[in-house]
Amino acid sequence: MNGYLDLAHKYQAAHKKRTRLSIFSIVLSVALVVGIFSMLDVFLKFEKIQVINDYGNYHLLVNNATDGEKEAISSRIDVKNTGTLVAFKSGSINGNQCDIVALSDNFAANMSMNLIKGNYPEAENEMMIENWAAEKLGAGIGDTVSFAFADETERPFVISGIFADYGGTKATGEPGVAVSMEAAAKASVEKTGIFLIEFKEQANIKKAEQEIKESLGISDERMGRNDRLLAVIGQSDHKAAVGLYQAGAILFFIVLVAGVVMIYNTFNISVMDRMRSFGLLRCVGASKAQIRRLVKKEGFLLLRWAIPGGVLLGMAATLFCCALLKFYNSYIFSEIPLFTISPTGILAGVALGVLTVAIATLLPAKKASRVSPVNAVTGNSEIRVRKVQQAGILTKLLPVESAMGIGSAAARKKTLVLMSASIALSIMMFLGFNVFVDFLHTSLKTTKPYTPDISLTSEESLSPDLYSQLSHLPGIKHVYGRMFGYVSATFDASRLTEEYVNEVGSIEVNAGGLFEAPEKSWLISYDKNQLKWAKTDLVEGELSEDTLNAQDGIIAVLQNIRKGVSVRTAELHVGDKVYIDTVAGKKPFTVMAVLRTVPFADSNLNLATFITTEKQYTAITGDSTLKIIDIQLEKNGQEETVSEIKRMIGSNITYLDSRQKNSEMNQTFFTMAVFVYGFVVVIALISILNIVSTMNTSVTSKMRYLGVLRAVGMSGKQLNRMITAEASAYCITGAVAGCILGILLQKALITQLLTSLKIVWVFPLVQIVCVFAAALLATRLSVIGPLKKIKAKSISENIGSLQ
Amino acid sequence: MNILTVQDLCKTYGAGDTKVEALKNVSFAVSKGEFVSVIGPSGSGKSTLLNMIGALDYPTSGKVIIDGRDIYTMKEEELSVFRRRNIGFVFQAYNLVPELNVEENIALPILLDYKKPDQQYIDELLGILGLAERKRHLPGQLSGGQQQRVAIGRALAAKPAIILADEPTGNLDSKNSRDVINLLKLSVERYRQTLIMITHNQSYASFADRVLSVEDGVVAELGGGAR
Repeated sequence: MNGYLDLAHKYQAAHKKRTRLSIFSIVLSVALVVGIFSMLDVFLKFEKIQVINDYGNYHLLVNNATDGEKEAISSRIDVKNTGTLVAFKSGSINGNQCDIVALSDNFAANMSMNLIKGNYPEAENEMMIENWAAEKLGAGIGDTVSFAFADETERPFVISGIFADYGGTKATGEPGVAVSMEAAAKASVEKTGIFLIEFKEQANIKKAEQEIKESLGISDERMGRNDRLLAVIGQSDHKAAVGLYQAGAILFFIVLVAGVVMIYNTFNISVMDRMRSFGLLRCVGASKAQIRRLVKKEGFLLLRWAIPGGVLLGMAATLFCCALLKFYNSYIFSEIPLFTISPTGILAGVALGVLTVAIATLLPAKKASRVSPVNAVTGNSEIRVRKVQQAGILTKLLPVESAMGIGSAAARKKTLVLMSASIALSIMMFLGFNVFVDFLHTSLKTTKPYTPDISLTSEESLSPDLYSQLSHLPGIKHVYGRMFGYVSATFDASRLTEEYVNEVGSIEVNAGGLFEAPEKSWLISYDKNQLKWAKTDLVEGELSEDTLNAQDGIIAVLQNIRKGVSVRTAELHVGDKVYIDTVAGKKPFTVMAVLRTVPFADSNLNLATFITTEKQYTAITGDSTLKIIDIQLEKNGQEETVSEIKRMIGSNITYLDSRQKNSEMNQTFFTMAVFVYGFVVVIALISILNIVSTMNTSVTSKMRYLGVLRAVGMSGKQLNRMITAEASAYCITGAVAGCILGILLQKALITQLLTSLKIVWVFPLVQIVCVFAAALLATRLSVIGPLKKIKAKSISENIGSLQ
Repeated sequence: MNILTVQDLCKTYGAGDTKVEALKNVSFAVSKGEFVSVIGPSGSGKSTLLNMIGALDYPTSGKVIIDGRDIYTMKEEELSVFRRRNIGFVFQAYNLVPELNVEENIALPILLDYKKPDQQYIDELLGILGLAERKRHLPGQLSGGQQQRVAIGRALAAKPAIILADEPTGNLDSKNSRDVINLLKLSVERYRQTLIMITHNQSYASFADRVLSVEDGVVAELGGGAR
């Protein structure tokens, strides 16, 4: 030994197991920080690609920019790329309705318009179309098609190129067409010119926007922002984005607290265990300052191994998330390397690791230095209970071993509070994040059970034969049909929203308070399965086919689809009467359930959307033939099934493929969920390991005491129960506190943020059950090691062990 | 009648060069109601012997029979139950449960047996031990002598067949030591208990009916005490 500080080495070498445990918990904290920062870094990269894919890679736009303005903006030093997009109203190609745009060649890639074959259209009569549309129209490169803008004047156009499919257009069945800029300029129809601007990586976009506005005198109305992209790159001052940044800051703070709590706990326990040895050191002449230095030295010795380990582990966690996402969609995320190293993440982890250890050792070091030498040598200071008197109620209520376990957890108040706090924290985060995942789940409708892969519709009706043929086709998971039509319906005028009344202008109200329906309403039939699936969107009431049939019930939908746009036109509630003109005259129906939304699009101007049973639908309209058949495919062999379906249907049936759109939406959901839950998992892991390490040290420090209990006659089983009771005391207190706070948080989040989306708070029973199951599991896990350790030694060895 | 019989007890720690023979073919018997003290220098094997008798450790070979039962043939669970009903321990370092109050500590072996303590007997013990005023105190609030008296109470609570005391006065001053020895002796006589006590103090050893001496793992009878 060269100096007294070498004691730290000696101690750690002599207590390998405990040292390993301490290192492990620091590794986890560092990994947590590195993981979170790197994950966030990578998440933003992934999300950026996602947003660019969904909304386009531009930051700002200027409507109807003049050539001078374009010139001035393009020549700015911080601008990377600019382009013009001309949007037209729908036109037609070979008689099929289509979406038309024109886009500058150099900006096509920014808007994910990727040429697969052929050339970009240049000449006045050139255009390119989507790949699926080309297949559907049977047109190839060089072919001439008959094309018309919204003015319906047909002109021959040559297909110069074919570009990759857009999910959205594929699902609605309207092909996307990009004409040449030349053609766009010549076309004398209604059009909107949008000048799109992509800035360089480091540009200060907010400042640039201000400069452009001022120097060119562009009004606010003409400027637009790609808010989602700006939010992802941290340059948005949009309210929602700022809210997100704040939430992020709070989360980091929580992570930091969790890390400090964990390391502090480890150190605190390790120091408490050795009060006696510190006291002995004081006896032989160590000063308070020396003891403090010794404890700190120990802490920093641990860092030597813990930091690299934590950094590696954090990187591994990030790698796992990346791999998961890349595996899920290798196409869109192909640019991101599997192994992403985030210097920010690593630096943050190292810095925070050192900082947390510094903070976490400070207090125990002080405590250790305060140990009085007398205390140390008199012994019998294993556990101090400060309570003045104990009435001894616990032992009267519970079996003595459980009472003792709980008592010993309760006696160490600080540990109990720290432990429960760390467990409660992770439960709160789990429940809180659940709201966001729920929100994403509700707002992205494809993740629901009834989302079709393929829909078949027809102006006329679909034959029952086709339905049964499809039901028996191999490779198909579900087939379900719907009837729909447009009926005249009216209800209490006060239920109409202001928004709707303003839009329609004037509403005539008769003496009974009912209004004269200015437009028809959309009526859809659901079968039993669809009613069951719709439960996820239920806002009030209940969905039962039998009751609906028996009591002339009807289901109202809050988000009404008007010309493909979802608008809230009426606020109907359970018990309201709706009068519908049926084939047998006007008939009243009672609203028995209210749904948030329906997962279908419609292009009519609907007053409201109603759902009814198949039986009722036929009674109302006199029609009993299916208008739409939705198909869900099995995972494997989809292409064969699809071509089989295509073969089965005639030309009067429209085939709509929603698979690409669905998977794109699922993707967005999945990307968010992976990171959100990844975060929660790491936090939960921290809590679990925290309790494992607490139990371990708690038992190690009480070896002798447990030996005595066994000598007095405690059996192995009772010992198990006692240790389990102690661990349970930590877990259950934490779980109960966490659940209560988590539920409050959840309720607050939902009522504050999501009421407008008609998401109602329900008691999160499933989550609570999961939380308690996890807590019990953690309890069991945490006692396995310590119990093994006790039983490995004979009782006399345990009693004899001082350390 | 012999309450305790020890036959050819051997205990060896380690192997090869580090091999230590802590006990070498120890045999003796103790009859009911006897007070036996065990003396010997540090490391002679006294504590090992007591641990073996109390089934806190397993011997390398040999038998210990308490109240007619060969304790090493019992399974762990069975042994725990046997121990809490038939053996009472008093340690040098008291070893009370810090979270339990005096009364609970005394009743612990009975509570562990899932039985309701006989309140009258517990109160009587508290009275004899001079702890009636302090039955709601926690061990941390008691002096060393008081703590050791609680430990004696605990050893007596289940009315065991045999009480084993490992230097019960080792941590106490002479006044408290005398009190503790007197209490032990009193309870042995009053409840007709059998007591085996390790001690360093020759004068306390002389309180006993018999004195056993242990040296290098060999037990020898020194005959009766001074009484």
